Amino acid sequence: MTSEPLDYSRARWPIRADLTSAHQRAWQRLGAPGTWLTGQQRVAVAAEVRAAPACARCHRLAAALSPFSEPDGKHTVATGLPDTWIDVIHRVRNDAARLTDAWYERVIADGLRPQEYVEIVGVLATVVAVDSFCDALSIDRHALPEPIPGEPPRVFPANARAGLARVPTLAPEDVTDAEADLYKGLSGANIHRALSLVPAEVLGFFDIDSVMYLPDRQLRDFAHEPRAISHAQIEFVAARVSALNNCFY
Amino acid sequence: MLLRASGEHDEVEHDFDAIVAARGNAESVPDAGLLSDFADAAIDGNAARLWATRERVLEALGSAALTDTAATVAIFNAVVKVADATGIPIEDYKIEPTLDLRAELGIDEFGQAHS
Repeated sequence: MTSEPLDYSRARWPIRADLTSAHQRAWQRLGAPGTWLTGQQRVAVAAEVRAAPACARCHRLAAALSPFSEPDGKHTVATGLPDTWIDVIHRVRNDAARLTDAWYERVIADGLRPQEYVEIVGVLATVVAVDSFCDALSIDRHALPEPIPGEPPRVFPANARAGLARVPTLAPEDVTDAEADLYKGLSGANIHRALSLVPAEVLGFFDIDSVMYLPDRQLRDFAHEPRAISHAQIEFVAARVSALNNCFY
Repeated sequence: MLLRASGEHDEVEHDFDAIVAARGNAESVPDAGLLSDFADAAIDGNAARLWATRERVLEALGSAALTDTAATVAIFNAVVKVADATGIPIEDYKIEPTLDLRAELGIDEFGQAHS
């Protein structure tokens, strides 16, 4: 693990400054109170995300015909987070393609709020993105940030609705003044809506997405190549990673 | 996924089956085999394989391309988890134009386990 502040100065070659800045912002958000989780909870989620790939139960479930074949099994944990949170983190981290609506309903019935679920997924996605980048380049992973004290506001969009996805989402046409910038610079495609029950997670995740992938406005601008690999190469790699993850989206 | 749109712009037809089958021979994409090997190694996490593949990318494409490839791999390794965890569906307007593609990739088979 590298020490604070997050930087890539020890990489074997220069890393784009906008990538470094985006990852620094992501790490600052990670340690700060979120919308539904405290800073301490967000950092604990991040720690559990990092530990989950070593979970013995997850390894057994990954090899099993059904990922729900050990109903009384226990995950190998690294934190004191509640069991329901642990199950969410481990399954999304290790076997997201085999999640089901029925499992999600059980998680909610066990007391996890949909807003908490969405924020956990947002934190998880941020950590996976930054860690995967470091791992791919054999750069030491960044030390997790120190949690910043404070209470989350625990608010959610008044117009969020069930129906589109497993979780309630906020359609672009239903945005109010409270979420005025939610889809600024974004098309409002379904993937942008996925985390919209917690707008800060949309803003945070697509802050790094636009730098690691492409800004929305450049997705179809095939006449200009803003990266060192072409649109076709970027989309090829994206498609390959989606296929490796058995992602249906 | 905008690979098809990119192909239309470049007036080439991509071999989507190669993407799924890990053959790495999607000849319409420059250096597809190399990029596919790197993506596979990065997701697989085998340190020796990843190191060897990364050196090949570095030598063939340079450090900036390696960084951007790593960034693409990393962010999509996260995007897929957001999509799968939230159960977000593909947009209606994308379904019809991608019917053939989805069948070719076997993507619909992935989704059948979700309900």
